[in-house]
Amino acid sequence: MRRIFFQGCSVVVLFFAAWFALRQVDWMSFFKVKQATESLEEKLGDIFSEIFGRDELYSSSVTAPIDSILTRLCTENDIDRDQIKLHIVDNDEVNAFALPDKHLVVFSGLILSAENESEVCGVLGHELAHIQLGHVMKKLVKEIGLSVLISMTAGGSGEVVREAAKMLSSSAFDRELEREADIKSVDYMVKADIRPEPFADFMFRLSGEETEIAKALTWVSTHPDSKDRAEYIIGYSKNKRCEYRPVLSEESWENLQKRLGEGE
Amino acid sequence: MITLAQFAYKPSDHEAEKASNSYLMSLIAVIAGLPLPIINLIATFIFYMGNRNGTYFVRWHCTQALLSQASLLLMNSAGFWWTMSIIFGPEKVTNTYLSYIVTVFFFNLIEFIVTIYTAVTVRKGIHVSWWFYGDITNLICKPNHDHEKNIFSRL
Repeated sequence: MRRIFFQGCSVVVLFFAAWFALRQVDWMSFFKVKQATESLEEKLGDIFSEIFGRDELYSSSVTAPIDSILTRLCTENDIDRDQIKLHIVDNDEVNAFALPDKHLVVFSGLILSAENESEVCGVLGHELAHIQLGHVMKKLVKEIGLSVLISMTAGGSGEVVREAAKMLSSSAFDRELEREADIKSVDYMVKADIRPEPFADFMFRLSGEETEIAKALTWVSTHPDSKDRAEYIIGYSKNKRCEYRPVLSEESWENLQKRLGEGE
Repeated sequence: MITLAQFAYKPSDHEAEKASNSYLMSLIAVIAGLPLPIINLIATFIFYMGNRNGTYFVRWHCTQALLSQASLLLMNSAGFWWTMSIIFGPEKVTNTYLSYIVTVFFFNLIEFIVTIYTAVTVRKGIHVSWWFYGDITNLICKPNHDHEKNIFSRL
């Protein structure tokens, strides 16, 4: 019996010793994990951004203010701004979403619905958090499957690509991931000297309008319990000290709204 | 790691075939190409249940095959759920994870080779006892029938 006990312990020790020894090898480089992931993300990012890029707005009077907000968020939070590909798309839907390979898409409808830059900043921070926390690829793999994603990059069916793009743009992440992104967005805003309360106000206001124009408010209607989220954002940001430092002048903000309202 | 030994009695050709099959059952998941680690154990367990009233030689080898699968199940299940949590959960692919998978792969490979060797040898009627698993099997599996006990006591 003692011998069996000793042998059993030896098997366990042998297993963990082998694991420990093999851990000394750099398997990430050996299997080229990083390169393979980046290459897949890059290809998927190109495919999806091409779909949404058809109605992209390039006018600097529209892109520059949003770019300034995003740049403030990135620089104050040690995020490489050059890696984030911002797309502002002419679409009435109140929507913004992240795509693989750090593409961030904002619909003009969302900017028009916002009352100030902090509200837009909250949404940008939320999507930036999804990008930084690696939620986008996880959602794609979970919803579509890795094999389908790989086949898409190898010239898969257009229908699958359209469905995947629709899923990315019009459905929320898991509740936990959404909460994580909300909290991270508040942190980003506070660090960037932008008050987080308007972000909560934005969701609270739009959730009230949800029943009337639910379909147009994609960003809010697909994200569950907007009121709850507004409450926990307020709760989380209550003890955060923030010296508000505006990104845009009032004139720039009004100019942006005016341009978008005119349908630039 | 493995010991070729004389069994308590000389098994018949039919017994050797059945005992050998118990090891082949543990390879069924590999043959079917299924990634679920539980399949091996289920297949071996079903075969074990079907032969638990068989002769001592058959029962002994069914038990050894089952025990080896049970321990593999532990390490394979951990690898399987770790992979699931990476695909569907918050975990990320790390060097620790990859080294675990490589370790599990090597242990499975060793078990696979030893299983095939044992299946072939046992088919010839030669008794094969594995290190650790053979000793546990000796503890669990005792001769049932009187004639088996008689044979055993004469040796």
